[in-house]
Amino acid sequence: MLRDRIATLFQKHDPALRQVILDVLEVEQEFISMERPRGIYDRIDEIVSKTAEIELQRQGEEEA
Amino acid sequence: MKLERIVLENFRQYYDRQQLAFARDATRNVTVIHGVNGAGKTSMFLAINWCLYGRNAENIKVVNNVGELISKEATSRANPGDEVRASVTIAFLHNGDRYTVKRTLIGSKLQTGKLAVNELDQFTMMRQGADGRAQPVSNPIGTMNAILPVNAREYFLFDGEKIDNFAKPDAAAEVKEAIYLILKLKVLERAQYHLGKVAADYRGELKRTSGGELRELLEQDEQLRTKRDKDIRRKEELAQEIESARRKIVEIDSKLRDSQNAKSLQLQRDLLERDLKQRRTELEQVVESIREKASSAYSLVAQSAISQALTILNEKRERGEIPSSIRQQFIQDLLERTVCICGRPFSEHGPESEHLRELLDSTVPGSLEDAVLDTSAALAAFDGKISQKKDDLTTNMRRRSELIEIIRNLDAELDDVSRQLKGSPLEEISRLEAQRRNFLADVDNHNLESGALVQRIEQTGKEIATLEKSIAKARKERQRGEKLSIKLELAQKASDAIAEMYQAFADDMRQRIEASTKSTFRKLVWKDSHFQDVQLGSDFNLEVIDRYGQPARPELSAGERQVLSLSFITAMSQVSEEEAPLVMDTPFGRLSSQHRDSITEHLPKMADQLVLFVTDEELHGQARENLNACIGAEYRLSFDKRTSCTMIEEV
Repeated sequence: MLRDRIATLFQKHDPALRQVILDVLEVEQEFISMERPRGIYDRIDEIVSKTAEIELQRQGEEEA
Repeated sequence: MKLERIVLENFRQYYDRQQLAFARDATRNVTVIHGVNGAGKTSMFLAINWCLYGRNAENIKVVNNVGELISKEATSRANPGDEVRASVTIAFLHNGDRYTVKRTLIGSKLQTGKLAVNELDQFTMMRQGADGRAQPVSNPIGTMNAILPVNAREYFLFDGEKIDNFAKPDAAAEVKEAIYLILKLKVLERAQYHLGKVAADYRGELKRTSGGELRELLEQDEQLRTKRDKDIRRKEELAQEIESARRKIVEIDSKLRDSQNAKSLQLQRDLLERDLKQRRTELEQVVESIREKASSAYSLVAQSAISQALTILNEKRERGEIPSSIRQQFIQDLLERTVCICGRPFSEHGPESEHLRELLDSTVPGSLEDAVLDTSAALAAFDGKISQKKDDLTTNMRRRSELIEIIRNLDAELDDVSRQLKGSPLEEISRLEAQRRNFLADVDNHNLESGALVQRIEQTGKEIATLEKSIAKARKERQRGEKLSIKLELAQKASDAIAEMYQAFADDMRQRIEASTKSTFRKLVWKDSHFQDVQLGSDFNLEVIDRYGQPARPELSAGERQVLSLSFITAMSQVSEEEAPLVMDTPFGRLSSQHRDSITEHLPKMADQLVLFVTDEELHGQARENLNACIGAEYRLSFDKRTSCTMIEEV
């Protein structure tokens, strides 16, 4: 499927970054027919924040 | 997406409930729906579009100028005031889940016979997972867009008459839009843009909130703590030095007490110092008591007002303007018992009873009387307390002055003793007294310094407490900043990563589409030897090259344009690798038999699912024979002239 093909394009990237890209692409697909996609920035922020929190936690555990 | 079933209920000429199941078999994947002109092919095609997207979606007209959607037959059969409903339900499969979507339009029949339609339709979507449990989808519009976006629907659900759109001159924009939508280039482009914008917002926020504030605060905190520790250490040193000086003084006093020539003066000093100590303790207590009383001194200010209020109340009571202090209850008790307060009995109708009844008349109801009496009592008690406080304060102030005077005298006497000892003709006594004075001076100086240090330590402690709050706040800000930094990095890198691969991916998709369109076109077009190549330029211009190496698109016939367009659409479907149906309304109307035959031969293999709305004239002969092996479901739309309604009949 095209979705899987796109996922392979980002394979060389860090898993956290890849997850952000794929999640954002899913959201973009939901909003694709909207000229002005209201609320999309909040959805993207949610995705990025969730991954950032996991990253912070991981960094904290590594430091500990 | 693979269509499973459609149910129409009172939708246009489909009166009552009509349904059909689509062919979904891998080899028999074609559904043919026959109908003469006006039988209801376009209405059913419309029903699919309306059910999935409504009349309008995101400024896109899905259903336009088609008249009433609710069945006129259903309306005519309804009574005025009755509700008439039209609905279309579609069940389809997508990525292993089964979805059921239903759109309903409700109208109310008026007395005039017309229908008042509620323009807001109801749209519901249910998803049935692998476990067989169906659940409503919370965001049906977003989910529908994720499955097949409204602006991409026309590449899968299309009107045969408009099928040649992609092959017309100046169709580059449409071709590009189609490729962008179906091959996710638009999704990638928008994701890159939105992530870049989100990253810019994070960067701005980070600039506003970050800075060396925390570092500065921590440095200040460190400095204050160093200063406080130093002061505490100095205070402890001073305490030890004071203790040492006092010990030395005690030793000197002892030596003076042992000396015959100084003994009497030293004993006198012992007595004076003991007395002085007691007086100082007493002075401290008196000062403390004054401080306590002074803290409630505000009540003294109110004393004159309270005395005045009491005077006014008493005067009014004397004038009978407010109740006397004789309570109603008390008089009533005397009347009931018929015994005077002196114990003498009196008659129930005697003059005593008469007088008591007169008194009772002159009193007022208990509640007001109680309130007045309680206020007077409270004011009187308060007045008493204030007077007491005032007296105590005066006594304490007087005692403080006395004690200060006593202490001054005792100090003077002690000075005198010291002077006598210092002036002693005996050198030893004079030396000891001089040493004693020095030690006393040390104690005084150390006490002064220690007192200043206590104040400074206290002040530094307060500053540290304030700073700690600021540090906690700055630390929170920093944590937020750290998270923001990670967010910025993620968003920016994600945007950059998409940008980095985008062009290569777009070129790859374009080349795949080009190759697939060319392959399909050469299979479908009967003049395959004449058309040598199909090119899709970087400007998304779809071009056909003839055997002379010349662009041939302007010369294409209407049928050839339709074939080119269809080749492009099937190429998109194949390259996207997404399971999607091709629903075509009267696709072969303008095609000659050669094209019809080749399309019916090849198209079923190119599409996952094919739904054809055709007239009998469109599908006969070789074309029909070509399809026979692939037809999994076949229906005829039968229009009843008597009722103007269409029935779906399985063939």
